[in-house]
Amino acid sequence: KKMTNDNLNKLLVFCVLFCAQKTSIVHGAQALETKVALLLHAEPENPKCFAEGMSDLTCFWEEDEERAGSADQYSFIYTYQNENSSECSITALPAAGGKRLYFCRLSQTQLFVPLDIRVFRDDLLIHNRSLFIEAVFLLDPPANLTLTSTGMQGQLKASWLPPSLKYMGDSMMYEVSYAMAGSHIGKVEEVQASSELILRGLQSGTKYKVRIRVKLDGISYSGYWSAWTDPVLMETMPGDLDPLIVSLSLIISLVLTLLSLLVLMSHRRFLLKKIWPIIPTPESKFQGLFKVYGGDFQEWLGHSTGGLWLRPTYFYSEEFPVPLEVLSEVSLGPALPSSALPPKASEALGEEEDEDKKLKRVDPALMEGWRKTPQEHWTMDQLRAIHQHPAPWTQSSLLESHDAYVTLNAQNHSVEEPLDDILEETLPLQVLFASGRTSSESRSDLGSVQQSSGSGRLSSQSSFEYPNHTWPSKGPGYTYMAVADSGVSMDYSPMSSNKIDDIGKGVIYTNEYKNEIPAHRRPIGTPIHFAF
Amino acid sequence: MCVCVCPRAGLPSPVRPICDPRVLDRFIMEARDTETALRGCKAGCGVTGTFVVPLTNVDFVVWETKDTEEQALEVQSGMSLFGQALGAVRESVSRVAVQILIDNNKSNIHSLGQVLRSLHIQDLPLPPAPAVGDLVTRKVSSLSELLHVHTNFLRGKVRLLLTNAPACQQNST
Repeated sequence: KKMTNDNLNKLLVFCVLFCAQKTSIVHGAQALETKVALLLHAEPENPKCFAEGMSDLTCFWEEDEERAGSADQYSFIYTYQNENSSECSITALPAAGGKRLYFCRLSQTQLFVPLDIRVFRDDLLIHNRSLFIEAVFLLDPPANLTLTSTGMQGQLKASWLPPSLKYMGDSMMYEVSYAMAGSHIGKVEEVQASSELILRGLQSGTKYKVRIRVKLDGISYSGYWSAWTDPVLMETMPGDLDPLIVSLSLIISLVLTLLSLLVLMSHRRFLLKKIWPIIPTPESKFQGLFKVYGGDFQEWLGHSTGGLWLRPTYFYSEEFPVPLEVLSEVSLGPALPSSALPPKASEALGEEEDEDKKLKRVDPALMEGWRKTPQEHWTMDQLRAIHQHPAPWTQSSLLESHDAYVTLNAQNHSVEEPLDDILEETLPLQVLFASGRTSSESRSDLGSVQQSSGSGRLSSQSSFEYPNHTWPSKGPGYTYMAVADSGVSMDYSPMSSNKIDDIGKGVIYTNEYKNEIPAHRRPIGTPIHFAF
Repeated sequence: MCVCVCPRAGLPSPVRPICDPRVLDRFIMEARDTETALRGCKAGCGVTGTFVVPLTNVDFVVWETKDTEEQALEVQSGMSLFGQALGAVRESVSRVAVQILIDNNKSNIHSLGQVLRSLHIQDLPLPPAPAVGDLVTRKVSSLSELLHVHTNFLRGKVRLLLTNAPACQQNST
């Protein structure tokens, strides 16, 4: 049992050593392959030689597989200054790309003295070189590269183990390469005779990739840059807000806010006008219409009679008040057909079939004459025509019109009465509303009524008050004014009473004004239209 | 650079060991600069004759078998040979620029002796001048080769001696 245990132990130790050696061999082979690749790129002369330690030297050269010979065809002869020549044994190894490498390794060397190297192939010199071994060092990369935090913003501390070469620790220089992870643009810093370096000026909260390589400084010893170490990653400390920057930002924000408020306050009225424009309301013109009667204009009119008279501005618009004067009395004859009305008035009345028929009974000549006349001169010309050619007129057609018209009746009163009293107290005014006709000007055309000679009280009567379609006969004290409504403006033309008398049974449109409006006749909101 | 130690009257004051490798590095660089500057000197800058110089090769395995005194002796004898050779060169050069460079190197050799003294490497009685053909010397026949050997000697044996001087090892630990 004891012997079995001992054998097992030996076997175990052998396996461990073999595995370690195999690992070491594998690792060494990889390192050698890396160095060979480096020198093939960095050294133009042949053979390429490098020293890894204090007393070794490795030389090699490369040849194409096709022309390469066996190792025994080559001889490597080296000679130190003032010494005899020696020969190094050659080893051949296959390489990538159809190449073959030939190696010579010396295990005992002399530094600080020239070394001559000659390579022969079948006694033919193929390579010749003289070098100092202390000038061809190719070291292994530093080991144990570690990144740590320094406790300060934007810094990392890199530390490593230098190659363990006696006498050369203070002759080593290092190159530290660092970049943000994922970036190909980085920085490089050099440090001599040290095993750590603090990287400064890094971004906070960022992951950095660091690697390092080593080389002798070239004063006593020199050589080639080693291979880079495997990169090491580490993230820097997260950044804190600079208190000064925060305070300055707050102050600036406060100042800007105050300035904005000042500007807004200084222009608040202008801004309010732009943002919330005041909607015009006629409430000031119609006292109590909205607040008391809720917008019911008919009811407001019915309850504000005195108010109307107290506010003569109700009758007024931007236009000057037009005096309305009754010029003469004319007894009404048979009513004219509705087609005898001015063209605008005809349109306002609406075209009905009955009226059209009546139109046909009108003297075509007369009608034609009427239609040709411009509206603004209709009154005088038409009246003349009427005087010359009195047309049949039916009261029924007149009254059947759905349009509204106003008649004025002058009553006999004493002349002594002042006009103002008549105006404000004794002038009943009735306005009839037309359906479907808008004429804001009509309303405004309600001018003041003035009494002319001999006229006293004026009263108004609605055409609807004469269901029998007969006009009341008036006394001789009437004066009339012809009014032409073009739809845009109204033309008031005084008519002499004589002419009116002459017209006789001609077409006379009387305006009857009353201050009461039949409620059933007046739809709410319909405008006033005057037809003459 | 000149390292001077001024002896006072009475007992000599102890000198602090000079262990900074940059001191010797400066000597090495100036020797190399002189070698480079005079490499292209025509006709050897007018220098003729032969000069005995020490061997510069260092076998670390062999070197480490020597003790400090043996190493020091080898270094001091070699520095003495270089001093004598540069003195002879100074006599034979006529160009002022060359004279300045040679004088600088001679001054550095003297300063290096002071550095060795600071490391308690006492001046050992030099053995009789080694003859040509000894294993420790060889002969050169040009100024450029003399300066080249001088540089190699400083970079090798002198530096190894100073780097591993016991006085400096005690300061670093």
